[in-house]
Amino acid sequence: MEKVLIVGGGAGGLILANSLDLDQYDVTVVDKEAEHYYQPWYLYVAFKGSKRKISRPISKLLKPGIRFVRDTIKEIDLDNKKAYGSYEVIYPYDHIIVATGTSPDPNVIPGLSQIYNQVGDFHSNLQNSRKLWNSVKNFKGGNIVFGMASPVCKCPPSPIEGVLLLEEYLNKKGLRSKTKITYFTPYPRAYPAEPMNRIVEPMLKERGIEVMPFFDLDMVDTENRKIKSIEGDELNYDLPIIIPPCKGTKIKFRQDVKDEDGFIKADKYTMRIKGYDDAYAVGDVNNLPTSKTGVTAHLEAKVVANLIQGIYDKFTGRINCPFDMGYGKATFVIADYENPVVEYPPSRTKHFMKMSMARIYWLTLKGYMDPVFDFYFEFTNPRKLNEKYNKTNPPKASSQPQ
Amino acid sequence: MEKLVDSRGSACPGPITDLSKAYRNSQVGDIIVLWATDQGVKADAQAWAKRTGNEILEMKEEPDKIVIKIRINKR
Repeated sequence: MEKVLIVGGGAGGLILANSLDLDQYDVTVVDKEAEHYYQPWYLYVAFKGSKRKISRPISKLLKPGIRFVRDTIKEIDLDNKKAYGSYEVIYPYDHIIVATGTSPDPNVIPGLSQIYNQVGDFHSNLQNSRKLWNSVKNFKGGNIVFGMASPVCKCPPSPIEGVLLLEEYLNKKGLRSKTKITYFTPYPRAYPAEPMNRIVEPMLKERGIEVMPFFDLDMVDTENRKIKSIEGDELNYDLPIIIPPCKGTKIKFRQDVKDEDGFIKADKYTMRIKGYDDAYAVGDVNNLPTSKTGVTAHLEAKVVANLIQGIYDKFTGRINCPFDMGYGKATFVIADYENPVVEYPPSRTKHFMKMSMARIYWLTLKGYMDPVFDFYFEFTNPRKLNEKYNKTNPPKASSQPQ
Repeated sequence: MEKLVDSRGSACPGPITDLSKAYRNSQVGDIIVLWATDQGVKADAQAWAKRTGNEILEMKEEPDKIVIKIRINKR
């Protein structure tokens, strides 16, 4: 039997493992942690104090017959098809999939690690999200600066989701009039993709959240309680909520396959690591020109499972990011390589769908929800939705039928 | 140093995010060549260059992509 080695027990790694035919392949999943976390829920831990249980043991999320090994892969030799773990354990393979996600690196920005440790954040892990909830809960009014510290980050809607949920919380607590919220971003507008920004920006305005565009965080001056940008601007704060920069993988490769931030250079349609036909990078860890989200990891994993099993398939760049806008409404950020982001209006139904995902997530990992997703992805095809909703910004010429 | 940033196909977060990332990793005197397919990149790159004090050397539309050449003057 051919050996498939999957490094990483996140959404991408688990969906891929569970999609392979176990009569044909000997599948091993390696992760340094024993537990898998439903990361989208960090948002509700940090801004609503949710106590929902959001983790499960990785071994319980795999179909019977798949081997799970708790180990840290330190090095991979793609030419000789070997991965090196701790204690000189060597994992030979026929196919390898690197799906290790991203990790936060607050040390890149001077002063940020202090904020990261004291205030918390809602991207890194459960513990830091709980820390942020404590900071939010103890806040009594003043200046809040809110934003991300680096251009490459997981889940593009999440900074805006965070600031909208925070505003809702402060409003309910009666602290809104005592608080000034400034949302900073390195981009020209609040949401980088223009069609979605047409929904986001009026909403921020309506809720009294100021937007500071072109603010690329350079340093945090913790002594004077200020943040400074590369462009030379400054903002004072009482409570800084800053998403740390994220980096790719720490695994050493004997071959040159990583970019300067540790993301693996992979083909945008097949996820094959550049130069190799038996090695893949799935999910946040690759450098594909698409969002770093669970849904892309999911769809990429399905494509890679097909390719390994000799079935033709290609990733379309599809994204489908649930976007909580506070006060019980949500939308989705939908696009693919060929079609721009849809100006998709928020609704209560979409919020219900986002909440339902937290429940069906565990079934999704095992592939039990595949028929529902196949239907959903066709129903929300980006080309069709663009024709319906993007009145002011029609899809570009090349993506229209000839 | 000339650096190619291939952002073709990126709709969200979009080419401007790739440009910001390349800027962070760049030094004065570097040239960034940005490839994109999202039409919005033209206005965004102009606004970005104006605000950050960098210079657009060239902006051209090829059949399959938009090519923008930027010199980093300020960092």
